[in-house]
Amino acid sequence: MSFWDWCLPYRKLVQAMADEVKKNVRRIALGLLGVLVILFGYLSYIQVIEGEALAANSLNRRSAQSGMQIERGKILDRNGKVLAFSERQPDGQYVRRYPYGAVLAHVVGYSNSSYGNTGIESRFNRDLSGIKNPWRVLGPLANLWNSKAGNNVVTTIDAELQTIAYRALGNRRGAVVALNPKTGAILAMVSKPSFNPEDVDTEWKILVNDPESRLLNRAVQGLYPPGSTLKVMVAEAALREKVTDTKQLFTCEGTWKIGKDYELSESHHQAHGKVNLEDALAVSCNITFGKLTVQLGPKRFAEAFTRFGFDRPTGLEIGDAPSELPDFNRLSEGELAQTGIGQGSLLVTPLRMAMIAAAMANQGNIMTPYLVTEINAPDGSQMETYSGKLLLTATSPELAQIVSKMMVSVVDRGTGSAAGLGRGSVAGKTGTAENPHGEPHAWFIGFAPVDNPQIAVAVILENSGYGGAEAAPVARQIFAGALR
Amino acid sequence: MEIMAKHGAEVKLLVLPGLMLLAGIGAVSLAIGKIDSLVLGIAAALAVSFVAVHYLLMWIGRHGDPFLLPIASVLAAIGLIFVFRLKPELFIMQALWVWSGLIAFILAAAVGKRVESWADYKYIWGAVGLILLLVTALFGVEIGGNKNWLIIGPIHLQPSEFAKLFIVLFFAAYLSERRELLAYDTKKIGPLVVPHQRVLAPLLAVWGIAMLMLAIERDLGAAFLFFGTALLMLYMASGRYSYLIWGGGMFSMGAFAVYALYPHVRPRIDTWLNPWADPNGAAFQVVQSLFALGSGGVLGSGLGYGFPNLIPEVHTDFIFSAIGEEMGLLGSGAVLLLYITLVYRVFRIALVAKTVFNVILAGGLAALLGLQILVIVGGVTKFMPLTGVTLPFVSYGGSSMVGTFVLLGLVFALSEVGASDG
Repeated sequence: MSFWDWCLPYRKLVQAMADEVKKNVRRIALGLLGVLVILFGYLSYIQVIEGEALAANSLNRRSAQSGMQIERGKILDRNGKVLAFSERQPDGQYVRRYPYGAVLAHVVGYSNSSYGNTGIESRFNRDLSGIKNPWRVLGPLANLWNSKAGNNVVTTIDAELQTIAYRALGNRRGAVVALNPKTGAILAMVSKPSFNPEDVDTEWKILVNDPESRLLNRAVQGLYPPGSTLKVMVAEAALREKVTDTKQLFTCEGTWKIGKDYELSESHHQAHGKVNLEDALAVSCNITFGKLTVQLGPKRFAEAFTRFGFDRPTGLEIGDAPSELPDFNRLSEGELAQTGIGQGSLLVTPLRMAMIAAAMANQGNIMTPYLVTEINAPDGSQMETYSGKLLLTATSPELAQIVSKMMVSVVDRGTGSAAGLGRGSVAGKTGTAENPHGEPHAWFIGFAPVDNPQIAVAVILENSGYGGAEAAPVARQIFAGALR
Repeated sequence: MEIMAKHGAEVKLLVLPGLMLLAGIGAVSLAIGKIDSLVLGIAAALAVSFVAVHYLLMWIGRHGDPFLLPIASVLAAIGLIFVFRLKPELFIMQALWVWSGLIAFILAAAVGKRVESWADYKYIWGAVGLILLLVTALFGVEIGGNKNWLIIGPIHLQPSEFAKLFIVLFFAAYLSERRELLAYDTKKIGPLVVPHQRVLAPLLAVWGIAMLMLAIERDLGAAFLFFGTALLMLYMASGRYSYLIWGGGMFSMGAFAVYALYPHVRPRIDTWLNPWADPNGAAFQVVQSLFALGSGGVLGSGLGYGFPNLIPEVHTDFIFSAIGEEMGLLGSGAVLLLYITLVYRVFRIALVAKTVFNVILAGGLAALLGLQILVIVGGVTKFMPLTGVTLPFVSYGGSSMVGTFVLLGLVFALSEVGASDG
């Protein structure tokens, strides 16, 4: 028996004791490693599933930090005029400059590290910031595309026309939309009162609490009763549905009792006498259009709104407020007549009304309104281009032609004469929208030149009085500026 | 033959951290746009050192587990890359800490051969550990929110990084000796087993130390580590779940008392429960850490392209979040998997060890390492309350680096003892 054999019982005992402890160690190992594996799962959850939200959290300063390190792209007008650019500071960071200041504040928007982005600055942020490539997906590879400067955005805006429109509004609250009816390109978009995007940091508190809502882009976010400008569409609907024709004579006695308690009256309280449809539009006869709307009935009236696209988004890049349409089937006859002359609960944006004028100017076709034509790399190479595309066909070329001719009469011999630039050159329609906030809103929609339309506009002046007296002269200045 | 195969694996694996380090330093240099030849030289020297450690171990006749050193070296290389990216001025110091750590590893592996005989001096280890902790508690200086620093002339030390090892050593010896007592000489109160007073005494001592650390040093993380490790070791020796419940209860009660009495512990718990209540105040670090991890996503921003410096203390306690931001889940997940692999290896070494002391010692060191990973990675991801604990081998700092390499050297020695015996 060797020494080792003699030791065997003792070694076995040690072994047995160690084995028992090992059972416990194995349990601890499984438990601890199990918890670490759960931690691994949790880490994956944080980085992958929660990651998207954490990266986008407004308190996460990463995007603002990276934004200040690279030169943000320029925003240019259709002629290459600079609307926004980044200026390098001595500390190497960039500050955003807006040469047109308040004139283009709502369209161009602002880009601010504390308060975010608006307008084109917001919608095209990825292009402008140079982080167009979704770097979260590509990871480090995305750095290969990250340039020292963001891409430039070329807009459809005509800065000169914009300035003319901005000045034409004066100190009044209101909005102007001017677009090319054949393409949908927005030439000017003014909202007043405005603000200087460079002062957002210093005046933020005042701006967000402003009772006049200077930050609001009234041209696309402001909702107004369209007033008599809606009669353009009602005329089209009445002709299309054969409720009337161009020859029928209507009798206007100044007032019209509908049912028991509704009475429609003319704005100047005069009787228009015997008028055909063209005359009625020219003098903006409420009674004629009220009667036509009642004859159309809720169904065909509602269909007109659908044909002109009121129930769908316009597709404008910076977004716009959806129209507020009444529930046509529940309207009484009186309410129907009211809605037919653009009063009542119907609310629309100035952009929508400009698109109605544009439909008549463009043979019944409404183009998708758009603001951006090109995105160019800093070296000038084109990265993306956008052009006009058809949004919808609202009416036939023939009907558009007939209604246009009637709109010419509005300017040549009717309420819109202050918008004229010489006989037969401008088509339009005025509106004077009663509202609960005081004086009526003054409206004008129209287009010019009639034989080859280049520009369609909508002008609204809040609580300013009659459309023909207030809004039509503003439109005239814009037409003159566009056709200079 | 088996030993030769192990050596082949180890030396091949040790080439990797050097290559990673050079590639990482190169990538950061390119991102910054300037190349520092001194830094590149140091990185190259470190790359050589990782491999050299292997040959030094062979030369002194040490043949332990071939995965420990490569895993630690890869982690150290990642740490060096990120210290260089986050605080370039600290890179040379961190390189010195890594070199010190490698030397400490070799020394620990060399003396660890006689680890069996250390059990006889258990009270000395226990006393040393206790003194280190008490000195820190009495003369500790606050740096970065934790009052656990000792400043002796130019040297800044975190003694708790070394005290941990002594306490584990003491417990392994104490528990292996009294194993039967723990397991069988017990009373019962209801379903719970009450340990004998001889077991209770050291447990109460560690509990007291942990509470002291919590109250005086504001070091919730270290307190949790000490007590948690001691408790897990007690279970290894006894196999009694009751002790875990007793211990957990004691720690929770103590922690609750400290939470109620000391206002400085409170924000850490409150911010864990709801960091979004005060994202710019008390919860700033956690929220910034979550932003970094979330922004990193799967692939990360790329080395040098993120903004990890938005997190305070990013190069020490929050270096994991920086890895998550710039290397994405691929990087942070890989680091976590390396730790899981390392903890697994150490537990395996415990499971093939031959004596009770060796089993409990290796098991205790594995538990210590595993709990530390849980505390820091769990803390920066809001998995559990955030406590100031370093990420072993990766965070900037000398005490943690040297201490953890000593731990690994001991484990390396234990793996050899276990293997050569059988």
